[in-house]
Amino acid sequence: MSNTSVLSVRDLTKQYGTVRAVDGISFDITEATVFTLLGPNGAGKTTTLEILEGIRRPDDGELTVFGRTVRHVDRTMKEDMGVLLQEGGFEPYLRVREVLQLFASFFRRSRPIDEVLSDVALTEKASALVRTLSGGQKQRLAIGAALINNPRLIFLDEPTTGLDPQARRNIWSIAEHLRSSGRTIILTTHYMEEADALSDVVAVMDHGTIIAQGTPRELCAKLGQTTIIEFDGHEITFSDLASLDARCRELRREGDAIVVETEDFLATMERLLAWSSDRSDPLRNVTVRQPNLEDVFLTLTGRRLRE
Amino acid sequence: MSSLCRLARVHVTTALRERVTLFWYLVFPLFLLVLLSLIFSSVGDADELTFPVAFANEETSGSALSFASYVEDVFVSLGQSGAGEDSALFDLRLPPDDAEVSAFVESQLNAVREGDIAAMIVLPAGFDNRVLAAAAGGDPATLTVYLSGGRTSSSLVGFIVEQVAAGIDKQILTVLGRFDPQQAFPVESRTVSQDDAKPFEYVDFLLPGILLMGVFTTGLFGVPGTILFGRDQGILRRYWVTPLSVPRYLAGFTAGHAALCFLQFACIWLVGRFALGSTISLFRPLPMVFLLLGALTFLAFGFLIAAVARTANAGMAIANILNMPMMFLGGLFFPIADLPLALRIVMYANPMTYLADGLRSTLSVDTALFPLPIALAVPIAWIVACCLIAARQLRWGVDQ
Repeated sequence: MSNTSVLSVRDLTKQYGTVRAVDGISFDITEATVFTLLGPNGAGKTTTLEILEGIRRPDDGELTVFGRTVRHVDRTMKEDMGVLLQEGGFEPYLRVREVLQLFASFFRRSRPIDEVLSDVALTEKASALVRTLSGGQKQRLAIGAALINNPRLIFLDEPTTGLDPQARRNIWSIAEHLRSSGRTIILTTHYMEEADALSDVVAVMDHGTIIAQGTPRELCAKLGQTTIIEFDGHEITFSDLASLDARCRELRREGDAIVVETEDFLATMERLLAWSSDRSDPLRNVTVRQPNLEDVFLTLTGRRLRE
Repeated sequence: MSSLCRLARVHVTTALRERVTLFWYLVFPLFLLVLLSLIFSSVGDADELTFPVAFANEETSGSALSFASYVEDVFVSLGQSGAGEDSALFDLRLPPDDAEVSAFVESQLNAVREGDIAAMIVLPAGFDNRVLAAAAGGDPATLTVYLSGGRTSSSLVGFIVEQVAAGIDKQILTVLGRFDPQQAFPVESRTVSQDDAKPFEYVDFLLPGILLMGVFTTGLFGVPGTILFGRDQGILRRYWVTPLSVPRYLAGFTAGHAALCFLQFACIWLVGRFALGSTISLFRPLPMVFLLLGALTFLAFGFLIAAVARTANAGMAIANILNMPMMFLGGLFFPIADLPLALRIVMYANPMTYLADGLRSTLSVDTALFPLPIALAVPIAWIVACCLIAARQLRWGVDQ
């Protein structure tokens, strides 16, 4: 992995009315890495991404893209960018090949259409109208259109939202493949496992600022030696669990489950088992795990990602 | 292929592949053209209309049993409304009692020439004697109708007068005991306002209207439809993340729109010319200027709608609201008769009125209501106004 910076952002600000959607954020993205923006709706991810994609102009701040420093992204920069929008459509009455030809015409250089078609497994659908495609096929067409110019910098805005697990795996492997071929990827996602699996660097955004940044492992390490124990807590009240006392960092209910965060796993587990055998009702559906990015986010913001 | 050509091609192919747009752009105008020209090619039922007509009786014999006064009475009765039913067929103007008939004829001839009245009927001096002579086998008298060339109403009146005169003719001959096809007084039509007078054909009047309707529909519905649908569905958003700029998109879009209009023009003209036998000569500078101006006016209106509507559905609603008054209060299909004041205001504000008037008068199928500079200026003013508003208001979903 080289250390060339493909994109760096300094004090980026964008205000809508009185709302500071993006409030002076800064970060650097290294070539051939996956940089993930993580945050709940309204955190400023979309606005940040729109500025970087060249759809919005920032009020303030500086962008350095491919070594050139500018106030906003210009057309020359877009020649080397590929954007997979979270929401976007294609003319329903165009054929798949025509869509790719159209997008190819927007760039000075583009890849051969047939090559792109086979990359996204749409060769057999080349003459089909867009309106007849399935959701997964449309998403693959969108990827094909985003990669038509052989971009150096690729934006994936919630690329797997609404896709089935199989289609999600496909997108992941495409992303892995792109990174290993030297492309730089900026990803936003709601899915923790997606951020965990793909990201080199995660920036957690909330209220227009970046509140934490690092590799997924670094971020999780911020929670210390925490272990998380979950079990079925249908008929259990918090007062029943008073004996867990100070050793447990946090005790909360999530749906039917009781979630215990503890820094002393052995002691907590012993008490829990003792309490359970006292009431002669064994704990059900117990899981023990290390904290993930979701827990990091919860600790940092006090909210869950998808609230 | 350049992005401009690609975008233009996309605009045309998607419009033609979608059945709904294909219907409104091509099938509907053609359907209307054929239907209306079939219905109205033999106009005879005009009893809803009242035509201003002058009648001058130059016969001076003044005897009680005068054929001339009998003919006059018949036409006068056509100028009176029936008992509580239909309105009068003619709004008949007779010479004032104290005036010279020849002066009246002179002034009314001018009125016909100017298009103020539909026709003037002149019954010549010596009519009574000539009718009697004709009944005995001599030369007949002639009832002269002065028509204003190229005007629908005028042609209709000419047709009606001929029918009425033929009826009176037969009656007189029957009274005089003649039953052969001899005529006592044939009707002679004289066209006064135009040198190259030719028989009026409804299809010649209709075809320019349908051509304008074509560019009207394509502009009013097609432009905001494509732009707003593209914005709502995120189609345009995908374009803006590429190096494609809004001006370039607009250029490609407009080129595609122009191609669609041309295709439409070709289809409508071919049907009008070869299937319905229209003889108008469109391919001259001024008619072409008016058609082009029409296409531009409604393209601009399309941009205006796209600028003020928040969503594609709202845009279609606005287009639908504008559709009816602009189309029907612009004289596209029928000559505009006397309208109530409110409707006349709409008519005078409507660029379609001026386009239709300019196109028809330069094609010599109707006399001009407005001078040429006005017919050109009003649509141009609309284009400028629409484009200014659209340039300020139209949201593309990208910071420029």
